[in-house]
Amino acid sequence: MAFADDGDLINRFKGGELSAFEDVVRKYQDRVYNLCRYMIQDAHDAQDAAQDVFLKAYRNLKTFKPDASLYTWLYRIAVNTCLDYKKKSRPEQAEDESVIDDLTSTEPSPEQRYQSKEIGQAIQLALQKLPESLRAAIVLKEIEDLSYEEIAEVLHTSIGTVKSRVSRAREELRRLLRKKV
Amino acid sequence: MKNVWNKIKSQSFKSMEREEMKCSQTEKMISRYVDNDLDTEEKRLFELHIQDCSGCKQELEEVRSVHELFASTERFTAPYGFTTRVMANLEAKEPSWLWQLFTFRPFVLRTVEVAFALIIMIIGVVSGNLLVADRTSGRQAVQATVQESFSLDLFQATPPDSVGGAYVRLMGAGDER
Repeated sequence: MAFADDGDLINRFKGGELSAFEDVVRKYQDRVYNLCRYMIQDAHDAQDAAQDVFLKAYRNLKTFKPDASLYTWLYRIAVNTCLDYKKKSRPEQAEDESVIDDLTSTEPSPEQRYQSKEIGQAIQLALQKLPESLRAAIVLKEIEDLSYEEIAEVLHTSIGTVKSRVSRAREELRRLLRKKV
Repeated sequence: MKNVWNKIKSQSFKSMEREEMKCSQTEKMISRYVDNDLDTEEKRLFELHIQDCSGCKQELEEVRSVHELFASTERFTAPYGFTTRVMANLEAKEPSWLWQLFTFRPFVLRTVEVAFALIIMIIGVVSGNLLVADRTSGRQAVQATVQESFSLDLFQATPPDSVGGAYVRLMGAGDER
């Protein structure tokens, strides 16, 4: 599905067109939700957090400056929302089926799917053990595939700090995932 | 003479760099090497060290594996109907312009409201006291009024002219007999 240019969407929204915001949500829902899934382990909490992200974006989009990029702005809201998110107490689910339900992969074999799911869960568990600043940096780098410059923009920090955080996060994950690696 | 000195200095520095690229320096560069972020010279020195250092080579392989694990892990898409739910939530949570207008109260206005309420309360208390003082002249009269107001006699269970009062009178007469 082809989406309109961010600048057009923002101008339409500022002109009072609510459907423009709907297009923004459609365009970025997967990226924001994916980020929330890796920042917050629980699928339901991640969904709530992703909804909060767009609610905050809606309230602040009128003040958004066009010189910044919309997706880094959304990522910034998403990271802050996830970090602030107080994990609700939920009964522990042994095998969260929703993890399987919302996989994007294009029909992989059951074995590949199982393996990928197992790796994904191991990574998610390891990520939860990282300090928040390192988790945000590594998720943006490895999961969202952002450049160091983009991550620095999202996290409001210097490129050097981002490089250092990514490096420390990898080192920590290497230690945590040694058995899987 | 100066040129010769510079030449010696640069040559010795280069050889020192090559020889003294320590494990601690290399380890810090692993992540950037995996991301292909090292410049040509850094990359050359890094690879030179890795060739001879099994510890750093092992660490590089493990970091690279972590990077590859991320690449092979699943990517999630938003659940079905996510956008619809977001839009429905916006309408539910976003207050109407009329409500916003009604509830628009800047801080100064709210402070004025509180101050006004306090003034009204103080005026009420003071004027109440003054009225009591005016109505009853003299200290004794005031005391009498206060005593009267707190006296339980005001709340007689059986006022004399009520049915209860008549019954009590009758019973009293019977007892006397």
